Amino acid sequence: MSVPASFEVSRLIDQPRVDRYAVAARDPNPIHRETPEAYEGPFGQPVAHGMIVLGMVSEAMTQAFGPAWAETGTVKVRWRTPGLTPFTATARAELKKDVDGIATYDVTCTDDRGETLLTGTATVRHA
Amino acid sequence: MTHSLHFTDLEKGQAFARLPLTVTNEDVDAYLESTGESSEPWRELVPPIYLDAIAIATLLSTVAIPKGVMHTGQEHESHRAARIGEPLTLEMRVSAMSERRGAIMAAFEAELTDAQDASVSSMKISVMALPDGVTA
Repeated sequence: MSVPASFEVSRLIDQPRVDRYAVAARDPNPIHRETPEAYEGPFGQPVAHGMIVLGMVSEAMTQAFGPAWAETGTVKVRWRTPGLTPFTATARAELKKDVDGIATYDVTCTDDRGETLLTGTATVRHA
Repeated sequence: MTHSLHFTDLEKGQAFARLPLTVTNEDVDAYLESTGESSEPWRELVPPIYLDAIAIATLLSTVAIPKGVMHTGQEHESHRAARIGEPLTLEMRVSAMSERRGAIMAAFEAELTDAQDASVSSMKISVMALPDGVTA
C-alpha cells in the first residue's frame, strides 16, 4: 500500500467551539473562556485548548488511514504558540518515512496569522 | 472543585488515580460536536485523542493545578482501539517533576487497560508551571 505524501484539515476555531469543548472535555480552566482570568492572564484574552488542534491532527490521520489510526497510531507533539480565538487552524501531515509498514509523518498545526501552534510526529501501521 | 492532591505535593513515581471508565456514544458525540470532527468514523471506536482529553480531565479533577500552568506537550500511543461501551481502567502517575529557576516542569503518564488487563493506550501529559508573578 502506498501512503499519501501529505494531507491536511482546516477549521475555524471560535469561542463558541472552545466553550463547547470545555464542557465536553470537562476542562474548566478559565483561561479558555470569556473570564476575567483569561483577560488578565499572560495572553490578554481567551486561548483555545491545545487539545482541539491536536484533535485536528488526529482527524487528518483518521481521514488518511481510517481505523488503522485508532488501532495503531502514535503521536507526540509540543505546543509552540497558543491559539488566540477566533482563528482558522490547519493541521498538516507530511510523510517523513515509510518503513516496514509503518508510516511516519511530521505534523504541524498553523493558524491564519502564520503562527505555528503545534509541531510533532505521528506514526501509523498501514500494512 | 475539591481536589485530593496539590500540584506541588506530587512526587516522581507517585500514582494518583485509578478509576473505571466506560466511554458512551453520548460522550463521543459531544466531544466530536465540540471539535467539529465528523462522527462517521466513530460509531464503534473511541477517537484516540478523546482518551487523552479524559486523562487530562482526570488530572484536573484530582490535582489542584496552579494558575498559569501551561500544557506544553502530549504523547499518545494506541496499542489497539478503545471500543465504545467497553469497560476500561485508567491509571495515572507522575513520571517527571523538576524545578528550574522557579518554574516547575511535570509530566503525567496515563495507562488505559481493558477487562483482561491488556494495555489499550498509553499517554503522557507534559505541563509547565511558571513561578508566581511571571507570565509567559
